[in-house]
Amino acid sequence: MEPFRDDTDLIAELRALRPTPRPAFAAELDERAAAGFTRHPSRASSPLANLFARLRAVPPRRLALSAGATALAAVAAATVVVAVGEPRSDSASLTQLSPTARPVSPPTSESPVSGAAGAGSNGVSSTAKPSSSGAGTGVQYEAADPTVTGTAASGEESSSTSAGRLGGVGPSAVGSGPFASNAGHRDVERSAEMVLGTDPAEIGSDAARVFDAVHAANGIVLSSSVTGGAAGDAGARFDLLIPAAKLGDALADFSAIGTVVSRHEATDDITAPTVRIGEHLRDSRATIDGLLVQLAGADTDSERAEVEAELRAERRHAASLRSQATKLDRRANLSRVSVRIVTDPGTATADQSGGWSIGDALDDAGHILGIAAGVTIVALAILVPLGLIALLVWLANRARIRRGRERALT
Amino acid sequence: MDGTLVATAEEAPREADIAFDRLYRSSRDDVYAYVASLVRDAAAAEDVTATAFERAYRKRSRFDPSRGERRAWLFGIARNAALDELRRRGRQAELAAEPADLASVPAHESAEASERRLALNAALTRLEPRERELIALKFFAGLANAEIAAVLGLSESNAGTRLHRAVTKLREACDGAL
Repeated sequence: MEPFRDDTDLIAELRALRPTPRPAFAAELDERAAAGFTRHPSRASSPLANLFARLRAVPPRRLALSAGATALAAVAAATVVVAVGEPRSDSASLTQLSPTARPVSPPTSESPVSGAAGAGSNGVSSTAKPSSSGAGTGVQYEAADPTVTGTAASGEESSSTSAGRLGGVGPSAVGSGPFASNAGHRDVERSAEMVLGTDPAEIGSDAARVFDAVHAANGIVLSSSVTGGAAGDAGARFDLLIPAAKLGDALADFSAIGTVVSRHEATDDITAPTVRIGEHLRDSRATIDGLLVQLAGADTDSERAEVEAELRAERRHAASLRSQATKLDRRANLSRVSVRIVTDPGTATADQSGGWSIGDALDDAGHILGIAAGVTIVALAILVPLGLIALLVWLANRARIRRGRERALT
Repeated sequence: MDGTLVATAEEAPREADIAFDRLYRSSRDDVYAYVASLVRDAAAAEDVTATAFERAYRKRSRFDPSRGERRAWLFGIARNAALDELRRRGRQAELAAEPADLASVPAHESAEASERRLALNAALTRLEPRERELIALKFFAGLANAEIAAVLGLSESNAGTRLHRAVTKLREACDGAL
């Protein structure tokens, strides 16, 4: 038998070996092609497999567009959720405050306050000095309860205690601290800060209304400063002492003067140092009484001189304790209040009109964009690592399949 | 092959359907021949051929002309489908086996022609699988060297060199047998 003459002969023989499809199969495949290659029912059994098949059939560009649109919608939805649920502390636009809408804690008890000189006695463009010094600040707190604060614009009120001395407070105050068993009443120091917005032209009259409100509450103006001028420059500042029992009324009066831009109240339980100093004072008095008895029974001059020296020292100590007790008493009975009147265009003008200015709109737009950026960053912080892991898994799986295919061939 | 491919406008652009229709018409038998030489089983070859066209049809809109010829793209899909089938059925061992349809000899042929064909078939079987695949792509499917290179992920010159070696090896094996 002759071998192949050349490569052409070999190739011709090879081509003759070419497998050909059965006519029946070819016809069936033509039909499927004409029908658009609908999936075989047995291969499309799983809905998940169907979904993957559909996704894989989508062009990458369209898939990327759809994914981008979905991500954008998700970010927008999350931004709306966060923006609606987020409390705002310095808002003067979307969450505009209204003086009449602000709940004010009513006083629950009255306590007489002494030394209220100087209330409401100063006019515009003046600086008032207190006729009585402010409450002492040198007392060291040993067991003060946590300060309770509230932000006015957030709609959260601080603890509703209103008087310096309380006949009964919440369980957190009564049931804690080294002097809790002795706490038939609590000594609570209260303080407040308030920022009001007003028109520059009304700064004088509003300052006068602050003085009136302080006078009505029998309070003390520690210092005041009123400045006229254009919006943003004009303003007023007041440092006040208000009887604790009338603090709620006073704050309500201040709120009615202008639009409340911000309001902050704080309470501080000073029962522990008050009780401790009271006990020290009683001990000191007992010591003095004992020394007086010793002095009466002294026989010699030197013995008498020694007892008198001890007596002087103990009396100085008792005087110091009394001073501290007085300061604590004043802190409990007089609340420090800081009132500031501002005339910023972004607050005062919108406040007066009750409308929504372009500045407010820009502020809100910036705020919303900030939230959107935050949401995007958080989402990316979650999705990017997940995406990288998914990419690595996909690449590893692809390499595994490729290796498996090559192994299948060889 | 007179049927016309049907596709909705939402699924793919019209040009892609027309191009796929042309591709199907020109490549159906070639794909089958290539797949049959890989899986060495007529029934499996039919399944794999249908699967390959089905996959290609689903991906027809994703074909990127800048990455190669449409025909090479189709044979790449067919190759993957065939290798998946081999993996699935664990038929690596059967690659060396002699398929009945490839070894069959028409009755009207002379004894000498039959003997030559059987010798060629035996020599083909003794080739390395990759060499057999090159032969199948070139002479059964009728692909150009550039298309073969694209299917196998080789350079065109490398594909040509390997193909030449495979043909030479095949001829030497045949000469030795005859």
